[in-house]
Amino acid sequence: MQSLANGAITGLTIAVLALAFTVVYLPTRIFHIALGGVYTVVPFIVWTALRQHYPWPVAVIIALSAGVTLSLLCELLNHSYLDRKQASSGAHLVSSLGIYIMITQITVIIWGNESKALRTGLDENVIYGHITLTRAQVISAIISLIILVTFYAWLRFSTLGLRFRALADNPVEFSLRGYNLRLFRWLAFILAGFLCSISSLLVSHDVGFDPHAGLASLLIAIVAVIIGGRGSFFGPVIGGLLIGIIRSEVVWFLSARWQDAVTFLLLAVFLFIYPNGVCGRKRRLEAEA
Amino acid sequence: MNYLYHLIIYLSVYIIVAMSLNIVTGYCGLLTLAHAGYFAIGCYVYALSSLVLGWGLIPSMLLAFSVAAIFSLAVSIPSWRFKGDFFVMSSLAVQALLFSLLYNWSDSTTALGTWSNLTNGPAGIAGIPKPVIFGIKFDTLSGIAVVSVILTVVWIYVSALLLSSPWGRLLKAMRDDELAARGLGKNVRVAKTQAFAIACGIAATAGVIYAAYVSYVDPSIASLDESILMLCMVIVGGMGNIRGPVVGALVLIAIPELLRFADIQNEIAPNIRLMVYGLLLLAMMHFRPQGLAGSYRIE
Repeated sequence: MQSLANGAITGLTIAVLALAFTVVYLPTRIFHIALGGVYTVVPFIVWTALRQHYPWPVAVIIALSAGVTLSLLCELLNHSYLDRKQASSGAHLVSSLGIYIMITQITVIIWGNESKALRTGLDENVIYGHITLTRAQVISAIISLIILVTFYAWLRFSTLGLRFRALADNPVEFSLRGYNLRLFRWLAFILAGFLCSISSLLVSHDVGFDPHAGLASLLIAIVAVIIGGRGSFFGPVIGGLLIGIIRSEVVWFLSARWQDAVTFLLLAVFLFIYPNGVCGRKRRLEAEA
Repeated sequence: MNYLYHLIIYLSVYIIVAMSLNIVTGYCGLLTLAHAGYFAIGCYVYALSSLVLGWGLIPSMLLAFSVAAIFSLAVSIPSWRFKGDFFVMSSLAVQALLFSLLYNWSDSTTALGTWSNLTNGPAGIAGIPKPVIFGIKFDTLSGIAVVSVILTVVWIYVSALLLSSPWGRLLKAMRDDELAARGLGKNVRVAKTQAFAIACGIAATAGVIYAAYVSYVDPSIASLDESILMLCMVIVGGMGNIRGPVVGALVLIAIPELLRFADIQNEIAPNIRLMVYGLLLLAMMHFRPQGLAGSYRIE
């Protein structure tokens, strides 16, 4: 039970990050690798703000707005230009990878290579029956749940959410019907930056952070997206929970060093047997690639 | 002078790697991130065969080529079904698996080279002997430089022959329109498998030279960063012909050497270098998507 609970909580943070990726991937088909850079830099901004004796909420707001701005800048300065040139999806992927490398290296130059932590001392334990959780874990579970529920409520019940789903379904028809495609793309990148920053802050508050975790975390989230089903907004959450639980069970039954191997083995198995994921609609992959 | 030899060895190793990656990315149109894994397989095969079995350079190279070619099935079978971003993801899965194999296939209680301790884990393998060809030992820098340059010239010649042959044209046809190539009765799957086997095998021979020169390997050479560096060379230099990857390797090896003269603090020099690589990738995609000397744009 204990490892299941730990896994589910990690899974929720993975789900939020996976959702951040999907929010850009579904409407624009861009592999937003630069989100890994956002993921890397956000906790460092909170850390610096706290060192300057800003109160917690202010530090978090500064960091969130920085994350959102960074993600939006990727669209404004890179993807929108590439899109105008009708560049291939490979070009988007490679340029996004370039941005990720730059953000990470700038972070290392400014803040150094060492791991840091957002809180000091031991965390308080909270005990529910047979399960012992730390306070950071409880906070991260509650905030992730709130974020996920709010997002789905927005997507399902608001007019903007309906338009966003329409955009994800068919961007060309969406713009033909007179909606401003560019504004909605901005919205997608803003949402991605926000969700990614939240996930990054929750994880780094729990276990600390270093400048090289960005891409690895994002890749796990992308695996979650593929496993969950990349054609749907719900896929990432199911995939995230699944990956989180499996990774923590691997630690329990095998060893922490096989975590990544098992994660990517799972990806390989899914790609072969069930390439559309748990929530995916049936479609031939060749038709899409 | 030693510095020059060092540069020549590095350059030839990376020219071979970039050229082999070009066979897959430039001629088959498949971006792979697993190439560093195959390079590392070459390093480890040489380390083990020379240390444990006492083999010379040429038999080790043959062994490395065949081992990498067999392992290349792990990326070539996914390529039968996937293209684009999905193939990138499955190659990434292969990279992660190869890395964790090299990282975890170890047991500190048994000797190196036994079945339970094949890679010595994160500690890596040290003291790899210098190359021996037909009983002649090449233990000077100039000797290794000569061997590496000869190997580079041989591989460039062989791959130029291969890629201008009907087989090379088949790869190009498959890249541009797979359905049409299949419609003409070409066996696309076999061609992809062959291309990956040859490319990964060539990368492994470059790994052999690298391990023989540095005489130390650890799992970090199979890391994602290395794969990205290799991809960077091909993308910056250009794909789809022979000269593109050579130019790419030249540029990307030249950048850190030029930065040495730019009076940058030593601690941040590697970060500045990586940042320049990132910037190059970005600039290339915007201003010259076919690379400096290439003839194919990635899809």
